[in-house]
Amino acid sequence: MEAPKTIAHEIGGIQNDALRFGLHGVKSDIVGSHPLESAYQSASRTQEEMKRKVLTNTYGSAFPLKRDLEKQILSRFQRPPGAIQSSMLGLEALTGTLDDFGFEDYLNDPRDSETFRPLDMHHGMEVRLGVSKGPICPSFI
Amino acid sequence: MSNSSIDVPPKGGFSFDLCRRNDMLAKKGVQPPSSFRKTGTTIVGLIFQDGVILGADTRATEGPIVCDKNCEKIHYMAPNIYCCGAGTAADTEAVTDMVSSQLQLHRYHTGRESRVVTALTLLKKHLFNYQGHVQAALVLGGVDVTGPHLHTIYPHGSTDTLPFATMGSGSLAAMSVFESKYREGLTRDEGITIVVEAICSGIFNDLGSGSNVDVCVITKGHKEYLRNHLLPNPRTFVNPKGFTFPKKIEVLLTKITPLKEKVGVIEGGGDAMEE
Repeated sequence: MEAPKTIAHEIGGIQNDALRFGLHGVKSDIVGSHPLESAYQSASRTQEEMKRKVLTNTYGSAFPLKRDLEKQILSRFQRPPGAIQSSMLGLEALTGTLDDFGFEDYLNDPRDSETFRPLDMHHGMEVRLGVSKGPICPSFI
Repeated sequence: MSNSSIDVPPKGGFSFDLCRRNDMLAKKGVQPPSSFRKTGTTIVGLIFQDGVILGADTRATEGPIVCDKNCEKIHYMAPNIYCCGAGTAADTEAVTDMVSSQLQLHRYHTGRESRVVTALTLLKKHLFNYQGHVQAALVLGGVDVTGPHLHTIYPHGSTDTLPFATMGSGSLAAMSVFESKYREGLTRDEGITIVVEAICSGIFNDLGSGSNVDVCVITKGHKEYLRNHLLPNPRTFVNPKGFTFPKKIEVLLTKITPLKEKVGVIEGGGDAMEE
């Protein structure tokens, strides 16, 4: 891998905010801020892997590969960065989250957050085109 | 192009923002508020010859304080499924509401009546994912195409399938009634009597449970929610003179500013935009 040519945009400086996240440490980076957080993430990852394995065993290895391709295509199909968020309808239909309704759908919506950072359209477009780095929509000021 | 370069819109859910800060503060010697509020409930359910009967008390506690004397602990899941909740009231309500929405979506998708096992799987999957941090102990009952079902779900996601079940701090008192009186093939009235007796033993022997008895009878294609079926603890004293409030709040000033003068509405602008 060659070194990135662009300067990383330090948006929000989330990782260095000692007041919000405590002092920086290697252990906290690995473990995460709460045992539940890492457990939750790893659980969803294992579930996805298991689903993939089941599909491979049932339909052959080409099927999940094709699904991954479709997933990539559908996740790239988004509205231009602006006031309206992409609904990701196609992606949700493919992954099955369209039929689900969980905490992430109605609790603590990032758009309702009091520290929500109004979106910069130009920055968003730059990220989309690979000119600059960083998340398109950082949720913290 | 790798997966990580694609940004999908962020989603909500649990926020762990303050955990690291709280850890650090605890290490520096700050005492966290130690008022973990004790919860208390009696909820029961049993299978009788035609279906399922669920029962609950109606006391909501905030530690040593009774904060609601007549709350509802039997939650709607689907037209043929109800669920009693013990534990943190907000958690039981959030979980049952969320799963009932999910069941509704599933019914729209399949066009069939929801099954109790579907609700059970959704609930236990969710609770297991959150590793007991969602404090909801549930008694789930309903009647579907495969007959009546009764399940208990523990906060960490384990489940039981039983002919009669109790949950909450009054579960021991209620279970003693069930274990001595339950038999197979109970009629509706006998079943309600036993459920009411079990809840009453929770109400009178457990400090975390109290007030009234709610009962829900679910049979095939029919359900009956008997809210406040029994009121064993009525209010004994009401001031016969009533309460009088000597003086109303005086209105000092009334001023109305019509909006029309401030805002002018221009008609026909919308058409011009569309062209």
